[in-house]
Amino acid sequence: MRLVLTSDNRIGVQREDGIVDVSAAFADIPYRMSADRMPRVLAVLRERRARVEELAASGEPMRVAGLQAPVPRPPKLIAAFGNYREGTDRERQAQDMFLESPDSVIGPGGTVILPPHPVTIFHHEAELALVVGARAKNLPADERALEALAGYTCAIDVSGRGLGRMGPSRIGKSFDTFTPLGPAIVTTDEVPDPQSLRVTLSVNGELRQDYSTSDMEYSVVEILAFISSYMTLVPGDVIMCGTNHQGLGALQDGDHVVMTIERIGTLEVTVRDSLKREWPRGIDQEIAARARGAARS
Amino acid sequence: MRIAAFDDHKLGVVGADGTLVDITDLLQQYEPLGPEDLLPDLITHFGELKPEIERRAGARAGLPLDRVRLRSPVTRPTKIVCLIGNYREGTDRPPQILDFFFKSPEAIIGPGDTVVLPPHPATIFHHEAELAVVIGREAKSVAEADAMDAIFGYTIFNDISARGLGRSGISSFLGKSFDTFAAFGPWIVTKDEIPDPYALQVTVDVSGERRQDYPTSDMERPIHELVAYISSVSTLHPGDVICCGTNHQGLGALQDGDVVVTSISGIGSFTFYVRDELRREWPRGIDRETAQRVRAVGQRPAAQ
Repeated sequence: MRLVLTSDNRIGVQREDGIVDVSAAFADIPYRMSADRMPRVLAVLRERRARVEELAASGEPMRVAGLQAPVPRPPKLIAAFGNYREGTDRERQAQDMFLESPDSVIGPGGTVILPPHPVTIFHHEAELALVVGARAKNLPADERALEALAGYTCAIDVSGRGLGRMGPSRIGKSFDTFTPLGPAIVTTDEVPDPQSLRVTLSVNGELRQDYSTSDMEYSVVEILAFISSYMTLVPGDVIMCGTNHQGLGALQDGDHVVMTIERIGTLEVTVRDSLKREWPRGIDQEIAARARGAARS
Repeated sequence: MRIAAFDDHKLGVVGADGTLVDITDLLQQYEPLGPEDLLPDLITHFGELKPEIERRAGARAGLPLDRVRLRSPVTRPTKIVCLIGNYREGTDRPPQILDFFFKSPEAIIGPGDTVVLPPHPATIFHHEAELAVVIGREAKSVAEADAMDAIFGYTIFNDISARGLGRSGISSFLGKSFDTFAAFGPWIVTKDEIPDPYALQVTVDVSGERRQDYPTSDMERPIHELVAYISSVSTLHPGDVICCGTNHQGLGALQDGDVVVTSISGIGSFTFYVRDELRREWPRGIDRETAQRVRAVGQRPAAQ
């Protein structure tokens, strides 16, 4: 099942012929704004699944002007460091993650607004994202961990480099609009093997990133076990599984970005920079080489 | 005015006589979806609620504080923003590059609660007492000149920190986001009662031994600069918290059985406890090595 949130706040299920309104299955859930609502909806999704599917099967597709991010403001937005072998056969690095601002999320068709801050470059990082569906702590590193998930979606972890004090930038990933998310939450039952998905990202029609989640250092269940050993996960939390840096490139004013994960969906955004800064087009070979060499030393 | 959370999902104001007057009922008109909405609603509607809150606080004796259970005054902010460093550590070095990270809101505990040390192989667990700023309105890219208008008040924060975990050399700060690692208390003091936030003394006592003891005058970057910069990155919401960083001269280990009292003059004081099922032990007293290392940071020509 593919769950979406429309721009007019209806909860929908994507069928091949369009999006069907299933909001009625969640009519009793009070909310003030969509940011409040989706975590509460995801918390009951599993128990109401039959009702949602019945509505999805019996309804007619509705007219949809646009979609919001399926979780417009996650309770927590968590990102894995690195986490890809970058096509090498190296030993995996120590596992680590950090938190980004939940206010950085935008939806499909949204605009990434580059801030005036003096970054060295803004990169795109296409990532598989996990959407949490249940409160969870200390999950096991096996398929039982997947029961804590509502499903998967696409995320672009836009990254402004060169800000802050030490090491790779993190605040440069938390700017408002820097986490395009969507278009749908694809429930776990539709993705039999999350470690064999092709991830691609194109900018203005030029293919940049093109990698498989089989290259991940720590698998989805290992990610869930690790982060839930630190903190309680709650419905609506989003965990980005990291990116393969072979294929990163600059984002700049006017760019049209299309990201696809096989079985999950396609997420498109545009980029605006009022300063109209320019960087070389194409793949950033320097960061690719650096990431590839990271754990060699 | 001192705003406190107490018992089960109640908000109150501490009156001049030191008793706590319940104001939870005043917030029902905004139809909170859960306890996490009470503080943001109070902050958002504070202007209209203030006369009635002041009337109640003056009109009747409330509950004695020893008869209620104080809770973390911040329940579930959308963000806990923590400054990296941000103290001169008693030196006269120039301010370093402003930098910050986000701490898990699930980590929050309050007065009387217990920090639970996880079994992870940390090299040490430190306390870090900090002045915390509670945001008073939605704020995006506010100018430094307007930044103090975006503040509702101040509270006390202890940023519990596990060291030595994660990938070396990248400082993820994830060791600060374990559940129970964000202690707030005892209440929020509205900003009108703190005319000079740089004239406060911050102390930590661990099982009766003084550890941290520093003035906020040692802060590198002032609060208005922090609010302006952070809001240039991320939208802030009412009830979000900015923790101003700590002075590392006086950090020490936390371990099983510790009783930790964190105080800031002009705000108050609160106690939390520490539990470690593994009963690991570290030297008691101040961690001189960390103190020296952080003091030395500024003595180098520039941060990388």
